[in-house]
Amino acid sequence: MTLFAILPILIPLSSAAVATLLIRSPRLQTAWAFGAMVAAFVSSAGLLWMVWTSGQPLVYQMGLWPAPFGISIVADLLSAFMAAMVQFVFVFGFLYALGAKDKAVHHPTFYPLFLFLVAGLSGGMLAGNIFNLFVMVELVVLSGSILTAISDDRYGPEAAYKYFLISTIASFCLLFAIGSLYISYGTLNMADLAARIAADQDQPLLPLATVLLAVTFMVKSAVVPFHFWQPDFHTASPTAVSAMLSSVVVKLGVYGFLRMTTLLVPHAEWLRGALVALGIASIVFGGLGAAGTHNLKRMFAYSTLAQIGFIHVGVGWGTPFSLAAILFTFNHALIKSAMLMLSGYLASRAPIKTAAFSVLRGTGKYAPLAGVIFFFGGMALAGIPPTNGFISKLMLFQSGVQAASDSSFAETVAYWLPLLLLGVSSALTLIYVFRAFMRVWWEPFKPDQPDAKVKPHGDSPLAPGLLVAVCLALGIWAQPLIQLAQGTSAWIQQPRAYVQAVLKQDAGVIR
Amino acid sequence: MEVLKALAIGALFGIGLYQLLRRNIIRSAIGLVILSNAVNLFLLSAGAYDGVVEAYAKATGQRSDALPQALILTAIVISLGGFAFVLSLLYVISARYRTGDSDEVKGLSG
Repeated sequence: MTLFAILPILIPLSSAAVATLLIRSPRLQTAWAFGAMVAAFVSSAGLLWMVWTSGQPLVYQMGLWPAPFGISIVADLLSAFMAAMVQFVFVFGFLYALGAKDKAVHHPTFYPLFLFLVAGLSGGMLAGNIFNLFVMVELVVLSGSILTAISDDRYGPEAAYKYFLISTIASFCLLFAIGSLYISYGTLNMADLAARIAADQDQPLLPLATVLLAVTFMVKSAVVPFHFWQPDFHTASPTAVSAMLSSVVVKLGVYGFLRMTTLLVPHAEWLRGALVALGIASIVFGGLGAAGTHNLKRMFAYSTLAQIGFIHVGVGWGTPFSLAAILFTFNHALIKSAMLMLSGYLASRAPIKTAAFSVLRGTGKYAPLAGVIFFFGGMALAGIPPTNGFISKLMLFQSGVQAASDSSFAETVAYWLPLLLLGVSSALTLIYVFRAFMRVWWEPFKPDQPDAKVKPHGDSPLAPGLLVAVCLALGIWAQPLIQLAQGTSAWIQQPRAYVQAVLKQDAGVIR
Repeated sequence: MEVLKALAIGALFGIGLYQLLRRNIIRSAIGLVILSNAVNLFLLSAGAYDGVVEAYAKATGQRSDALPQALILTAIVISLGGFAFVLSLLYVISARYRTGDSDEVKGLSG
């Protein structure tokens, strides 16, 4: 039974290896990769279902070595939920890649690398061992930057180089933190580490390790001041990849912070304060940056910065209710991937393949259906009622108001300022998304060259359409997801349960 | 010996970070390698917690913690792959931009 915990990693990883062997037959490789992705999603959804119904974390010990010594794969509700979210969005990413006209998706190693990316992400979220987390993070960094380097965009290698350099420094920080934690506590297992840190918080290297871990996850989630590579990277990568990078790959950092603030170092109050402060800075920078860009894809990349800021504020507040920022995480992943795919679709139809507004202006006349999708997606991004974006912003707002009413006057600033910014940023989102909408769909089509024409066919808009439909469905029928998010937040409030579930295992129990 | 090792790690970190911040992209790639070696050396010294010797023991009765060595091995393999990738990227960038100055490689700024 416990083998199910490793399936969401095992399926994409082994299929990627097989897909690499299928380089000579592209059609077979594509079909194989898509089938593997669907199978992986089924396994992670099944894992989520098993963990949710049993109410117990599912722990797999590699090689059946008992917990602090062997490598643990731990699927508690947070891990299973995040892995299922990642693979759900990736199914649509594959769907988009199947219908894409990019040269990059026909590169012989595109699908294997895409599978490695999803394997690394799910692996990072299911890892119960902090060094295993490092290996998975490196897998994400390498496959993500190679996928960007083979992009059709001629600036792909430049963006990949920037991302790789900064991410490698982040990986060194993570490695340094692992070393410091190992010197201090003599273990790498996250559950064991949490128990030992709770027992002895005065180790001299613990603050250093905490700071280095925080820096790593800040770079991973691209929060101010570690965000400068993010808009370049998310603009230059192939559309199918950039939709994944901007929606779920940044969530690895969010997951890291959720684990840090609830499991590893729950006593570090300053970390939560820093998360709220940097979250606020990200909301301001992201909103203003998005309003000032001249490129549709870049606009959504900046918008990710602002939305990640909200998630960090929710994680930093750390109240049981605000940890339902997990819901925000899920909804943002759906919306942002849909919007970036839609920008890619428009770019593929444009006379020159670019998402710059100067080229896209007026091309929407030839893509009316995409306009409908964009309209509802934009509403979801700004958080207007019949969409899931509204639900997540409402939850965050409620938790802030509740926490502010429970705290002293001086502390309320930490709650009211983000709440005020939540309103301002939503208005700003509405402005920049619908300014883009007006530019593309309402302005007349006047190309620079008189003979420039909108291409009759581009990428398939099926994937963004389905994603926006899911966004609308989750906005109207939100109850199950809210319950799941609140359940997850209740789980991560009890790190004891996680620790016990991992450490109580011995070789005899595992079947 | 401990002081010497600490100084060596610090010096490697300093040199690596300095090279990483240079404007020449080839130098910054070299800085990356030096930094990775500094981190690996630090991990090696992490094997010496609580009076255990770090890498190998000459005297009898001394034992070394093998886990950091396994970690270093993994980290070396990963950084080897990463460095190969960086070198190929440098090749593409220098061919495309005709320069190795990071200030000139700015197609995406703005």
